[in-house]
Amino acid sequence: MFDISPDHAIGLYAGLAALPVALLALRLRPSRRAVPGTVLGASVLMAMAGAIHLGLVWTHLGETITAALFVMNGLAYIALSQAFTWRWWRIASASLITMTLLGYLGYIILGFDTPDQVALATKLIELTALGLVLVPVRGEQRLRRWRWGTLGVAVPFLTVLSLSVVWIDDLARPDAEHVHAGAVLQATNDVATPEQVAAAQRLYDATATAIAPYRDWHAAWAAGFRPGGPENMPSTHWMNQRNVDAGYVMDPRHPQGLVYANTKHGPVLIGAMFQMQHIGQFGPDPGGPLTSWHQHENICFTPFGFEFSFMTPTATCPLGAIDISASPMLHVWIVDNPGGRFAVDIDDKVVRRIDQG
Amino acid sequence: MIKADSSSKPEAAFVLLGMQSLFWFIAAISSAPFVLAGEYAMGALVVVTLLLALATCLLGIGVLWRRRKARGFAIALEVVCLFGAALLLLIPIGANHGPVSLMVNIALPIAVIVLLRKDPRESFS
Repeated sequence: MFDISPDHAIGLYAGLAALPVALLALRLRPSRRAVPGTVLGASVLMAMAGAIHLGLVWTHLGETITAALFVMNGLAYIALSQAFTWRWWRIASASLITMTLLGYLGYIILGFDTPDQVALATKLIELTALGLVLVPVRGEQRLRRWRWGTLGVAVPFLTVLSLSVVWIDDLARPDAEHVHAGAVLQATNDVATPEQVAAAQRLYDATATAIAPYRDWHAAWAAGFRPGGPENMPSTHWMNQRNVDAGYVMDPRHPQGLVYANTKHGPVLIGAMFQMQHIGQFGPDPGGPLTSWHQHENICFTPFGFEFSFMTPTATCPLGAIDISASPMLHVWIVDNPGGRFAVDIDDKVVRRIDQG
Repeated sequence: MIKADSSSKPEAAFVLLGMQSLFWFIAAISSAPFVLAGEYAMGALVVVTLLLALATCLLGIGVLWRRRKARGFAIALEVVCLFGAALLLLIPIGANHGPVSLMVNIALPIAVIVLLRKDPRESFS
């Protein structure tokens, strides 16, 4: 959702290239003075949406139906962007935009396409164009009440629907590198070789031995590890700023963090965390797919309580939170974790079992 | 032929402010489950963001009604948003710099400011 699909990038360029052309085309039309600015704005946005759809044809020639739909959609958008003096322009434009949005959502739900930045940007352009098509301006009397009603219902409904479908699809059907919401996995080979299995075992043994003294959280505290984030969560990461600043790379004796389950008996050590210093810099991967690092991207972080939530598809965070990425990390779980010893997350059931025990 | 007897910039700004209000509304609602999971500080952010979404929507209505105060507050809001977004673009914390982020956090506030700047044809009261 936050990437640009390679076969969609051309659409973005086509849309950007269409902007000056559409503005120039408007300047050459004397009839532009006879319509409100909102109509001209919608005309430019529809021309951009049309260019994006036409640009996508070339990379979808192998998918005949999709390519044909792109052609029809693109041509319809461009024709309507120039027909703004037509009596039925508003109804035709609103219908085309609505059908395009619903058609796209159908494609996503049926799994024919996956949402990316180009698609999302196009949907935002279309939604804004829909708002501009429908909004009545001062002095306009024709279908005024109907247009206000449609604007007040259709634009919010279609915006929430589009973003929800895109987001739910992204969370429900992540690709191979996004197996966990907000986390991007390091690219590795698919199946671990015997050498990689042995290397992963060595890393696990060395880490489990090295962090054993920290089963007593007082020892961890004395070594400089400090809890971060809310302590009413099932588990808490205790970070060691000295180890973070020193930049140790996957050193079992100097992990950047420890993970404790928050139980009624006090903190119980469940694992260690290695973290790289810089965003995008993945660490060594001795175990191949078994020990792939992950980087948390597009998360909303608030300094109030050191808490997190997910950034929305429109790249918006709640007020008081900022969009950040965390540099790559690798967990080593020393308790029996169903997801694996190096999984992105600890299973909540494991933490509950420890708490009950 | 569709005719209008005054500038339609406030109406265009209303549409953009409405979109922005919706984006904040969705950001607030989507963070609510984290409050249920125990992130209580996030609860305060959810409430504040919902209020911001409501305020933005009301500003949009004020702009539509050509209220001078609403215009001033809307411009101030967009300037603050733009400053925050520019800061996130510049500091290396891994903020998203994709086209959607640029559209929503940079292009949209700029468009609202441009639409609401002083226009001799427009009478805000």
